[in-house]
Amino acid sequence: MKKILLIEDDEIMPKIVARILPSTEYRLEHASNGKEALQLLEETSYAYDLIITDIMMPYANGFEILSKIKHRDRPIPVIIISNAGNEDMIMEGFKLGADDFLKKPILPAELLIRVKKLLM
Amino acid sequence: MSQIDNPTLSASVETVSSYLETAFTSVKAATRFLENTFLNAPITIQIAMVFIIIAIVTTALAYISILRNRYRGYRTDKKLARLCPRIDNLLIDEVLSHPSLQQHVPPDEIQLNIAPFEQLPLHRRWARQALTGRIIHFRRNVRGNIGLLLRNLYMQLDLDNDTLKKLKSRHWEKKVQALTELTSLDMFISDVTILPMTNDRNRELRAAARHAYIKLSKNEPFKFFDIAKEPLLMWDQVELFRTITSTENIAIPNFARWIIYSGNKSVISFCLKLVVYYNQHNAVPAILRLLETKDHYLRADAINCLGKLRARIAEDKLVALYSHQPIPCQIEILKALGRIGSGEHVEFLKTEFLHATDFDLRKHAAKSLVRNQWVSDHPGDELLSSVSQENLRILRHCMNPLIKY
Amino acid sequence: MQSIVNAISHIYQSTIFLYGLVLLLVYAMLAFFSMLGVRQYARQDNDYQLDVLAGSGIVPGISVLAPAYNEGLTIIDNVRSLLTLNYPRFEIIVINDGSTDNTLEQLIREFSLQEVDFAYHIKLKTQPVKRVYKSTNPAYSTLVVLDKVNGKSKADASNAGINAASFDYFLCTDVDCVLDKNTLLELIRPVLQEEKKRVIATGGTLRIGNSCEFDEGVMTRMRPPRELLPRFQEVEYIRSFVLGKMGWSYINCVPNVSGGLGLFDKEVAIRCGGYDHTSFGEDMELMSRMCRYAYDYNIDYAIRYVPKTLCWTEAPNTLEIFKRQRIRWARGLAQLIHAHFHMFLNPKYGKIGMVIFPYNFFFELLAPVVEMLGLITYLLLALLGYIHWHNALLLLLFVYTYSIMITTIAILWDQLTFRYYKTWKEVLFLCMTAFLEFVIYHPIIVYFSLRGYYNFLTGKRVTWGNMQRQGFGKK
Repeated sequence: MKKILLIEDDEIMPKIVARILPSTEYRLEHASNGKEALQLLEETSYAYDLIITDIMMPYANGFEILSKIKHRDRPIPVIIISNAGNEDMIMEGFKLGADDFLKKPILPAELLIRVKKLLM
Repeated sequence: MSQIDNPTLSASVETVSSYLETAFTSVKAATRFLENTFLNAPITIQIAMVFIIIAIVTTALAYISILRNRYRGYRTDKKLARLCPRIDNLLIDEVLSHPSLQQHVPPDEIQLNIAPFEQLPLHRRWARQALTGRIIHFRRNVRGNIGLLLRNLYMQLDLDNDTLKKLKSRHWEKKVQALTELTSLDMFISDVTILPMTNDRNRELRAAARHAYIKLSKNEPFKFFDIAKEPLLMWDQVELFRTITSTENIAIPNFARWIIYSGNKSVISFCLKLVVYYNQHNAVPAILRLLETKDHYLRADAINCLGKLRARIAEDKLVALYSHQPIPCQIEILKALGRIGSGEHVEFLKTEFLHATDFDLRKHAAKSLVRNQWVSDHPGDELLSSVSQENLRILRHCMNPLIKY
Repeated sequence: MQSIVNAISHIYQSTIFLYGLVLLLVYAMLAFFSMLGVRQYARQDNDYQLDVLAGSGIVPGISVLAPAYNEGLTIIDNVRSLLTLNYPRFEIIVINDGSTDNTLEQLIREFSLQEVDFAYHIKLKTQPVKRVYKSTNPAYSTLVVLDKVNGKSKADASNAGINAASFDYFLCTDVDCVLDKNTLLELIRPVLQEEKKRVIATGGTLRIGNSCEFDEGVMTRMRPPRELLPRFQEVEYIRSFVLGKMGWSYINCVPNVSGGLGLFDKEVAIRCGGYDHTSFGEDMELMSRMCRYAYDYNIDYAIRYVPKTLCWTEAPNTLEIFKRQRIRWARGLAQLIHAHFHMFLNPKYGKIGMVIFPYNFFFELLAPVVEMLGLITYLLLALLGYIHWHNALLLLLFVYTYSIMITTIAILWDQLTFRYYKTWKEVLFLCMTAFLEFVIYHPIIVYFSLRGYYNFLTGKRVTWGNMQRQGFGKK
């Protein structure tokens, strides 16, 4: 069972992602803003196998979370999901070590494949 | 007439008559007041008295409106708070988890089970509107077959009737809403309906109609590039850009067509951005021709575009143009040389960096030098040691990876 | 002799009457225009547009300037909240204006800052910038921190920020203000949507945050101030922004974009010389100069306002600090009108010369003076027994009810469009404040304004009164 953390301030996205990723294989947890996410990460001492995050969120943006995650000894793979059309922003994400980027609206099959690939 | 004996009734009759009496006396008092005080008062005082009454009435009405508005808003919020989770669950259970999705059945052929949706209060318009909003919200997050299936649901529940009704509304904002809904759901609108709106008096409606036309029209989505006479606002460009780049199955034309022939500067400048986005190298000759234009802003846009396309072929021409350009165009030329980065005009950049008087020119020359890898190739270059304090700082600024701009 | 006295008193009375009448009409007009303006905004307002803007790759960049002087208490939360603004292309420039507390140290530690060689170009002259810092953590790559010698004014610090700004638009704010996350989207939208004019500035509504709840620099619960003095100011702000500025914005006559929150066209701001550090009302002063520049160089300009509340600021809650603030504002106004007097009723300056300036002169600058003179005359007449008490009271009642009506209408527009606050009780509570305003708050303001004018006329030197802030506490 793989543990995934989804950080996203849109209320619908978690429900969609929960449907796309079969619950028999993945345990999905959800944080609705940067602060909640950082708290969850601290509490569980980063015990997640994969993190899916948005970029623009209240309290702490995706980049900050990304840099926190990637500065640890055991970096967790990260997928960014965002509606950003600004290339600079996407590049920034990759520079910070994001493993993948998906633009909203997402293709369910695509998300599933990327998640599988990163968790192999 | 026997009821009059009823003690309670007679008591109430009495109260009513006493009320009437009071009312009567107060009316009398008011008339007396009007006769004695109001009519005899100077004009300023009369005005003041009238306005006092107006002010009190308006204030009272304002209170009532505030309270009514709050109450209504509170009720709507509560209703929606109850309805939305139900909608979400239904959408997830009936649409997102539809078994046929896994079996690669084309979404057009999937029969949705709409019975559960009929338990929603869909005979109410606000509920239908909420459902439409929710479907669009879902589609903004997810596309592919699920997106198509959500659209099917919208049609099977006849929600499009509401939208089409709004499209005929007298209020432009309703029409804009309807157009937004239709474009978000990829619904077909006939050209007859939409074309008149692209020439509407209201700017917002006009813009919304154009986006809808580009997104939904099957025959010639870019037609209005030919006919648009007024400038495309920055905002229109933002929205159009998004519409064009996010629409699937849209045939992307060669934008050089408008760069050469359009008389509308904003259309040209917008096409330059699209050329960059779609990396249309075959537009380079058209853009080179555009460098002759008299409009400085447009020329700057053209130079910027050449840089982003990394058109090496343009470099010599840009350098030749440089000396008689206004500063914004000069800056764009320096930037373009950095982006193209062929390394062939390093000497030129170096001269500009060392001798230009304008600070921004020096800064961009330095930046482009760095991008041309001149600095890393010549770490011991004697120029580096002889530059002024300020230029050295500029160079360090440009070399520092922490600084973006 | 008697006839002369009569004539003078007649002229005096008619002048006052005319003055009052025009003022009331102006307010009625503002109420009407603001209704149109707010309605227009509400029709255009939809989340879809903001969403498109937030995801766009072709929007103009914005530099956010946040001058900070001894803000150690709240600096980290506030910079964090600025970093999470919803916009695709922006930078944050924090200007540490020679703080004597640990503001800079905190910033360096929290955001892993490192001193860099920065191509800082002095386009506007300021106190020297000693050092420039950037973060070594790419997550904070949008942050720039300037450390400069204290210039004793926000204007000086803001100018340094403008010098370092890399984008064509800059947002000016106070580091202690809490911004709505969509502030940049909301403020740039009028710029992008303007048809023919060049928008040189846009502003949004400010509110008092004293009793709101904040959590790490994010507003979580909006509430009208509980204390009386800040509550008066909240009412005043709603009236001044939702009714005043929106009304003026509708006819493109905005007199001022508040220093707490405003988006400016950098080119015009630099060309006209940036903020004036000797001014006591630097925001209004800059606006006047930008308009003047636009007229002198034939730029068909517009200044726009957004009725949505985008910024919460801490209002002075003691009379002492409040006094300092208002004296400074009044002095700034007097200074401004004095310095730009040649624009007054000068047709060359179009609307600003013929509408904004006369309005500011007669109804902002002179109002306290007229009221004071009126009061003195009244007292004199009363002592001499010339007063027709019945009429006098009626007139007073008229002004009182009228002022309440205007304030209530402002609250109404605000409520109809945005339904701020959580309960209707809070709204009524706020409405009730209007009844006391005329009796308590207004006389205080008149007095402070007169003190400000006095300081201006005597050229009294005052030290830059620092706001003593408590910082928006955590929950």
